[in-house]
Amino acid sequence: MNRRQVMGAGIGAGAAALTVNMGQAETRFRDLPEAASTDSPYTQVPPRPTTGIEYNPVVTLNGWSLPYRMNGNVKEFHLVAEPVERIMADGMIARLWGYNGQSTGPTIEAIEGERVRIYVTNRLPEHTSVHWHGLILPSGMDGVSGLSHPGIPSGKTFVYEFDLVKSGTFMYHPHADEMVQMAMGMMGLFIVHPRDPAFMPVDRDFAFLLAAYDIDPGTYIPRVAEMTNFNLWTFNSRIFPDIDPLVVNQGDRVRVRVGNLTMTNHPVHMHGYDFEVTCTDGGWVRPEARWPEVSIDIPVGAMRAYEFDADHLGDWAIHCHKSHHTMNAMGHELPTIIGADKSRVTDMVRRHQPGYMSMGTAGMADMGEMSMEIPENTIPMMTGWGPHGPLEMGGMFSVVKVREGIAPDDYSDPGWYENPPGTQAWEWTGELPEHASNDSPETILTPRGGKRLG
Amino acid sequence: MGALLLLTACADTATMSKARDERAGFATVAGISRQATGAEAAWLQTPAERQAHAQRVRAIVQGKTIGAEQAVQVALLNNPGLQASYADLGMSAADLWETALGPVPSVGISVSGLVSGDVSRSVEGTVASSILDMVTKKSRTRAADLEFRQAQLAAAGETLALAHETRRTWIEAVGAFEAAGLVGRAQGAADAASELAAQLGETGALSRADQAREHVFTAELAAEQAEARLEAQLAKEKLVRLLGLWGTDTDFYVPDSLPALPGNVPNRANIERLALENRVDLAAGRLEMEAVAARYRLNGQTRMLSDAEVGAGVEIEREDGETERSPVVDVAFSIPVYDTSGLISRRGKLEYQRSANSLAQSAINARSEARSAYTAVTGKHQIALHWRDQVLPLRREIDEQALLSYNGMLTSTFELLNDAREGLESQLSAAEAKRDYWLAEADATAAIWGGASDNGEDE
Repeated sequence: MNRRQVMGAGIGAGAAALTVNMGQAETRFRDLPEAASTDSPYTQVPPRPTTGIEYNPVVTLNGWSLPYRMNGNVKEFHLVAEPVERIMADGMIARLWGYNGQSTGPTIEAIEGERVRIYVTNRLPEHTSVHWHGLILPSGMDGVSGLSHPGIPSGKTFVYEFDLVKSGTFMYHPHADEMVQMAMGMMGLFIVHPRDPAFMPVDRDFAFLLAAYDIDPGTYIPRVAEMTNFNLWTFNSRIFPDIDPLVVNQGDRVRVRVGNLTMTNHPVHMHGYDFEVTCTDGGWVRPEARWPEVSIDIPVGAMRAYEFDADHLGDWAIHCHKSHHTMNAMGHELPTIIGADKSRVTDMVRRHQPGYMSMGTAGMADMGEMSMEIPENTIPMMTGWGPHGPLEMGGMFSVVKVREGIAPDDYSDPGWYENPPGTQAWEWTGELPEHASNDSPETILTPRGGKRLG
Repeated sequence: MGALLLLTACADTATMSKARDERAGFATVAGISRQATGAEAAWLQTPAERQAHAQRVRAIVQGKTIGAEQAVQVALLNNPGLQASYADLGMSAADLWETALGPVPSVGISVSGLVSGDVSRSVEGTVASSILDMVTKKSRTRAADLEFRQAQLAAAGETLALAHETRRTWIEAVGAFEAAGLVGRAQGAADAASELAAQLGETGALSRADQAREHVFTAELAAEQAEARLEAQLAKEKLVRLLGLWGTDTDFYVPDSLPALPGNVPNRANIERLALENRVDLAAGRLEMEAVAARYRLNGQTRMLSDAEVGAGVEIEREDGETERSPVVDVAFSIPVYDTSGLISRRGKLEYQRSANSLAQSAINARSEARSAYTAVTGKHQIALHWRDQVLPLRREIDEQALLSYNGMLTSTFELLNDAREGLESQLSAAEAKRDYWLAEADATAAIWGGASDNGEDE
């Protein structure tokens, strides 16, 4: 995928619109802008703007940016709130609510100082609204149904219109029947690029939202009343192993913007680098206020953007550091079977369930290796294969792939990284050196200079 | 195939060779009974007969797994109570036999399986039809013959009642063993959970309380299993009594499970007619009327009234030869009406009325019992089918999905076993429903031929 391949008709219409004069525009644009839609769950890289102010569009992981048109000097978008089917991973479809054919919804991208007019058509069975999280706007545009304005009834279209007074990383989501509509997947990114292309420039700008769902194995629709026991932890409503990689050319300046619309915090950890948070949903972070990190905790209802220089070649994991969040649906009531001798039990159980396999006596990695039949529409708890075996991951996990010679707009998967000779852990087959061991729980003071073996 | 139980003439050939010819009905039956060689003589009168008979019974039962028809066969051959009834028959027949007829009847039967739906091929059907065949034969020595035929019917009634009870007891015993087997399987699932709990106790993954919860469930189920096994043994012991067995002859088995449910119940919309034609007690009632008529020397029957007509109050005693009929039923049970104009004693009239009305009542009851039996057998069949075709497939689906869920590490082995145990509970209910169907089937047979205790409503 690259910028030249994608974003067809909608953008074309928008670009064409720029050529008409104001008088014609008023006549022509009495109608709604076309409501673009996509049924693809893959990353669609937006093209760079060809007119107007230059900016570097964000790459929404397994998502896309909403086409727009210019109506005079107003940038117009058309969001459609509607039921969607989201392919969360190959072999699993979620029946969600989203925008313009997908959940999460398309990313809205605009430029600081622009005026935006966003038509929101409600094709849901109940009223909805859109809250523009983090944006500074008139109270009546804030999208809290009943408080800011009436909810958008089913079948109706409302218009939100406001000036983008600052650049930054924002998001949108309903503020009507909010718990249900967000549990059903309604959310999207709202990126405002700086008017000055020289301000905080990056070569690659990735963005995704953290969303959690509770979809019981064998089912398709989230349990909306869930508060804590979610079982699917997603980047943009997508789970490992089918979250697209973050493809980076060596030496690129890279920004990753992450928003959290789940009900718990997520320490997003990226391997191979240290980095700094440069932006929150409150705005850009002054350099003197940043500190180095390797895990960034994304609080609930907050956004963080961090930046790094992609100097280190390799395949680097990026994931939530809560280990349950790099698992797909699993049973949380399972007893620990480690160390149990199940040989007798297995025979006894097989009398009732001939297909019964003993698992878990040595840990749960059997799961990643055995591909046993599991309930329909369910991705195994731990899954995925890499160049060196099973990854035994799920949920919020992807890979940052830093390579030499990646073309500027090329985001296609370069495959697995080949470790240069001598730079990969290897098996020791010689005699083992003596190893230290300790069976005392007491604090043991190490003598200065360390303690030598042998 | 086909069970044959025959009242046949074991002729006392030294005295009455002629009698055999006179009992043409017996000769016919004897012809059919050739297939049943070796399984006849049921009225045991000599030590040699008893010994030969004991050997035959032993050959059927000892070390064998016996089916329903075999159980009925052995009961009819071997039940001491039935032998006593036959002795009554012998005594009442004695007069007749001494003067005219000669041979005393005995019972012969052959082996068959439990034939679903074909009532004419059950032991009971063969018994009843053979008897009816005989009692409708005209006799030259009317009065003595009537009494003898009544005695035959009484013996036949006893025979059918024993057959019915034996069949029900066999079904209950087999059903009890089937249930005990299923409880045993549930126990096996619980044992597995208990074993796993013990293992997890050793590794430190399960608290003593949770281990005890698994163990206590297994222990309780063990008590239930013991109960179920005991019930099965006692049910079999009841069968042993009916079969009149003792000593090493009790060393027989019944199957582990009842035969599968038939796909459909044969349409027995004609069950009322079958009952009216075949019920031994109705035949006995007719004979009773004949006997009354004979006793008071009534002149031949003038016409026939249906049971419904009698029930509806149509005059039984016709003196003027006129007839009034109200045909209200499709199937009529004919009650002979005799010319009572010659009756002068009040006692005779009352006795005649009593037997006519009681016969009408018996016929009306027989109709209702037949309908009840048919309703019960179709209803029980539907229920058993529902368990088999609706509930059990869902349980299988649950078991399949439980395994997938376990495979996905979504649920534990404990939950898998729990689903299996619940599935076995459904199988237990399905087995009970199947047993109830077979009991209803046995009752339907009794409703047609007679022999049901308590007017065909055994439960």
